[in-house]
Amino acid sequence: MADTPEQIAKHVKKYLFIGALLIVFTFITVGMSYVELAGPDGGQTNNILFGMAVATFKALLVALIFMHLNHERKIIYKFLVFTFAFVLGMFVLFILCHDNPLVMDAFERSKSALEHAHYHHS
Amino acid sequence: MEIPYTVNARPDTGLWNAKVGVWLFLASEVMLFGGLFSSYIFLRLGADYNWPVGVLDAFWGCVNTLVLIASSVTIVMAWASLKMGKVMAYRIYLFITILCALGFMAIKTVEYKGKFEHFGVRLTDGTLLEGHFPKEGYRIEFEDVTKFTLELDGVYPESNPKDFLRDCTTPEAERKFLNAAGKEVILDEAGLNALRLEAKAQKKTSVELTSTKPLKFSIKRGAFGFIDPIYSYTAESIFFKDNTQTNGKLVKDSMTLEVDLADVRDCADAEKSLAWHYLGDEQKAKFIALRDEKLAAFKKSFGNKEDPYKSPHFKRHGLVLKVVGGAHAAAGHAKPEHGGAETDTTHAEHVASGHDHPSVVIEKKDITFWSNFTPKYNTYYAIYFALTSLHGLHVVAGALVLSYFLFFDGKLLRKDPEHMANRVEVGGLFWHFVDLVWIFLFPLLYLL
Repeated sequence: MADTPEQIAKHVKKYLFIGALLIVFTFITVGMSYVELAGPDGGQTNNILFGMAVATFKALLVALIFMHLNHERKIIYKFLVFTFAFVLGMFVLFILCHDNPLVMDAFERSKSALEHAHYHHS
Repeated sequence: MEIPYTVNARPDTGLWNAKVGVWLFLASEVMLFGGLFSSYIFLRLGADYNWPVGVLDAFWGCVNTLVLIASSVTIVMAWASLKMGKVMAYRIYLFITILCALGFMAIKTVEYKGKFEHFGVRLTDGTLLEGHFPKEGYRIEFEDVTKFTLELDGVYPESNPKDFLRDCTTPEAERKFLNAAGKEVILDEAGLNALRLEAKAQKKTSVELTSTKPLKFSIKRGAFGFIDPIYSYTAESIFFKDNTQTNGKLVKDSMTLEVDLADVRDCADAEKSLAWHYLGDEQKAKFIALRDEKLAAFKKSFGNKEDPYKSPHFKRHGLVLKVVGGAHAAAGHAKPEHGGAETDTTHAEHVASGHDHPSVVIEKKDITFWSNFTPKYNTYYAIYFALTSLHGLHVVAGALVLSYFLFFDGKLLRKDPEHMANRVEVGGLFWHFVDLVWIFLFPLLYLL
């Protein structure tokens, strides 16, 4: 990266703008957490998904602009590709505790289906 | 020896070395926090209780988010200023960044203290009561304590058998101990050493003492930082942590709690919850009104299609009552048995201090578990403290590095500003990462 003083002077406004944007999105996150999004569980899952989407967007702004990942040497991206592949792996590990191919999940699903039917009849 | 590639790019990487280094470090940091976020997902999906949502003060969480965002802007501005040769501006921006870090930690400290002082009590029917301890919290009282077995050569030789007397409420002048032979024993260092020698001669590890007058004990768990003197107790004996055992009669075994929240989500019959036994009919009426209002609102949005009792949102707002008012009335309600609450403050004082919460005395027989809001309380607080304290350590570490730049790197700044700018960039990258982690922590722990 070859940042000359002239180029950096141009960036300064951008940094302030991104800072303001981050603050705006913080307020959006806080505000939206009080809004009941539609969904069978009272919108909890959708609220989480929305909140995480906003957080990811904010994190991208920080990484790309403040941490200069929008113009970085190739070797840094090489590091990060591996890092994020592993981290994403960790984030989806929980799938294993929901769908276990070694047992009959249909048993549990049929049980909750029965409960559901029971509620609608009563 | 000159360290190579501090300013100029190394031919093979195309970068100065520290930058490659800090990104490798940040990659490992991503894995560290990633592992903890993964734990959060597991704990939340696997929680067998109602995951606490919105229980932290979102205002202070939000303020801390703004503080970190501001510091992220100032640190990048500090770097940019240095690159442009504006040394004074660089120093000011760096100083503001450090102030932000201190502000963040100060707010965090206040938040943590609040958690340590806030208690939750799970009752036998699944009801959860939350609140603060007034002057005292849990109190155990024993009477007719006459027999003492002092362990003199036990598993913990360093424990001092004198410690058990710490919570004896009988005046010191009236405490007299006789040994098995009927000889008076004084429990000071010399007296204890004499007892030890005597026991050793008789090939015993413990000695039995009798007090001439029945003693009274009052053991309480009060404010934060109090170490329990007892290990365990039954209806007729106390086991102290110094290994002393006594007989006696348990006359009081209850907790005084200023209840600020009643959570009946896990209670099979919410209207018959023990919460109303303790808090009184007024709070019960408030609860029923709240629940029915939320039920009606739920029906209005979803009709009869959905079961409100499967909606975490409904349960959180309709089955959890913020308990306010009636500080005096409820204390009176629970008073008759076992002496009741000895509140030192009047109702008016409660209201004036902004803590108008009823003070109730909860009997041991109704309690399954109680704790302050520490990792012991539940897995939410466990992961909350694990994540935020690790993040806090990063804030402190970042502040130390930036303070070093500001206060001790003046020489490098004059000699080689370009090298200094690279240092600030590397410190800044770490600082942005700390902000980035918080961007996820704030919604996950405070809001969602």
